[in-house]
Amino acid sequence: MNVSRWLALAVLCSSCAASPAATEHTTTTDAALQQSERKTSTDPAVNPHAAALLDFEVRVKAYADLHKRLAKGDAKQMETADPAMISAVKARLAAKMQTARRDAKQGDIFTPDVRPVFRRLLAPELKGEDGRDAKAVLKDDAPAAGTVLFKVNAKYPENQPLPTVPAKVLLSLPTLPAPLEYRIVGQHLLLLDMEADLVVDYILNAITT
Amino acid sequence: MRRAFILAFVLTLPLAAVAQELRLPNKEGSVKFAVIGDSGEPSSGQIAIARQMHAWRSRFPFTFALMTGDNLYGSERARDYERKFSIPYKALLDGGVQFYASLGNHDDDGQTQYKAFNMNGQKYYTFKPQNGVRFFAIDSNYVDQKQLQWLDKELEASGSDWKIVFFHHPLYSSGATHGSADLQRELIEPVLIKHGVNVAFMGHEHFYERIKPQKGVAYFIIGSSAKLRKGDLQKSPLTVYGNDETYAFMLVEIAGDELFFQVINDKGQTIDTGSVRRAGDVKPNPNGTTQPVVPQAKPSPVQPGPKK
Repeated sequence: MNVSRWLALAVLCSSCAASPAATEHTTTTDAALQQSERKTSTDPAVNPHAAALLDFEVRVKAYADLHKRLAKGDAKQMETADPAMISAVKARLAAKMQTARRDAKQGDIFTPDVRPVFRRLLAPELKGEDGRDAKAVLKDDAPAAGTVLFKVNAKYPENQPLPTVPAKVLLSLPTLPAPLEYRIVGQHLLLLDMEADLVVDYILNAITT
Repeated sequence: MRRAFILAFVLTLPLAAVAQELRLPNKEGSVKFAVIGDSGEPSSGQIAIARQMHAWRSRFPFTFALMTGDNLYGSERARDYERKFSIPYKALLDGGVQFYASLGNHDDDGQTQYKAFNMNGQKYYTFKPQNGVRFFAIDSNYVDQKQLQWLDKELEASGSDWKIVFFHHPLYSSGATHGSADLQRELIEPVLIKHGVNVAFMGHEHFYERIKPQKGVAYFIIGSSAKLRKGDLQKSPLTVYGNDETYAFMLVEIAGDELFFQVINDKGQTIDTGSVRRAGDVKPNPNGTTQPVVPQAKPSPVQPGPKK
């Protein structure tokens, strides 16, 4: 995955250099995507935190693979006209994941080595004027205080909104495979399984003030 | 007393007829659809809007409806899907109207599997109901690298079609509670401009606001189809027209290079109307401010809410 990402970046850079027209059409979004690739790269030649991020990537992939193996049969979501099926499948999948990961604990994915890297990646996006805006967004859609349980394998509360993650903050973090997503609740970073509504791991005080 | 009542009835009759006049061309073969937003609250407003949609459909036979997110507030058990969606919109569903949902911050991913929302298991997706028009549902809750790359690629592939995006968080807004989603805008807007997106429908704010076209894109906020936040719209330089006093939905028609809209409240009154014209094959300009969209507003009978 890393090699392919870097190849894609290299092709993109070389095509930009070769074609003035392509350079003209590079938007601020393209630039942000390229910057994101560099910041979250697992290539030690360009990123001093590459080893920790590579280890994180391996752990995340292992979770995604497990999810894929278990999300089969009566635990596989399929399009349905019966909404009862959606919650039933979700519950079965969550139970399977909880059983398979009954010994999972905090730090299995956000290891002690990678936690400071995440804090470092998040910090610039939450400072200054943009940072104030980002914090306002996080607060705006926040679940009610005390409703989210910071515990591996805990269910995300059913009636609570999912806090929106500002796009710039997301781009500062490594991209996750489905069904995993980051969410920030208060000062804390959550790794959620969106199909099973489970807390997979978390970093307390990921946002330093 | 009785005479006075009859007189009052006769006097109001023409006004009601004017207010309920269809202001769309209703051309044969045009693309006809409705837009609702923040619609998943079982309220009197939701019921009234659903009834109005059904009533107006007899005159304007729209075939599908876009949903700008927050499709189901609170819990999402089977009964909630019924109470908050399939019962209030039953007449439309029975009439064959297809709903296309985007996700809001109150929506669980499970909704992507609900057949009536036409998301095919995807949090962001595209569909083309007729030749010449393509829609893109964006998940504005989680705009990551993968989604931005997908949007760029799909918009690029859509060629000369009308490009219409819909999602939850408004990139521009004059709302006191939320306001413009600046941080989402920073990354989404350049992609929209790059590919000449014409129109965006958004929600999140519980009112209706027509934004002055920004960098060539016409923006509409429609988030008052079941929830209303009276007095929340603070008319700003962004506002062409807004209404935070009544529940609302939109009727939209695309005919050739013109998109016509009519916004209707829970009483069946028209609160805004106009059109957006695109100039045709204009080269996208990623850094410029000109795009082929020209708003052509007509006078609206209801004024925006009080300025704070």
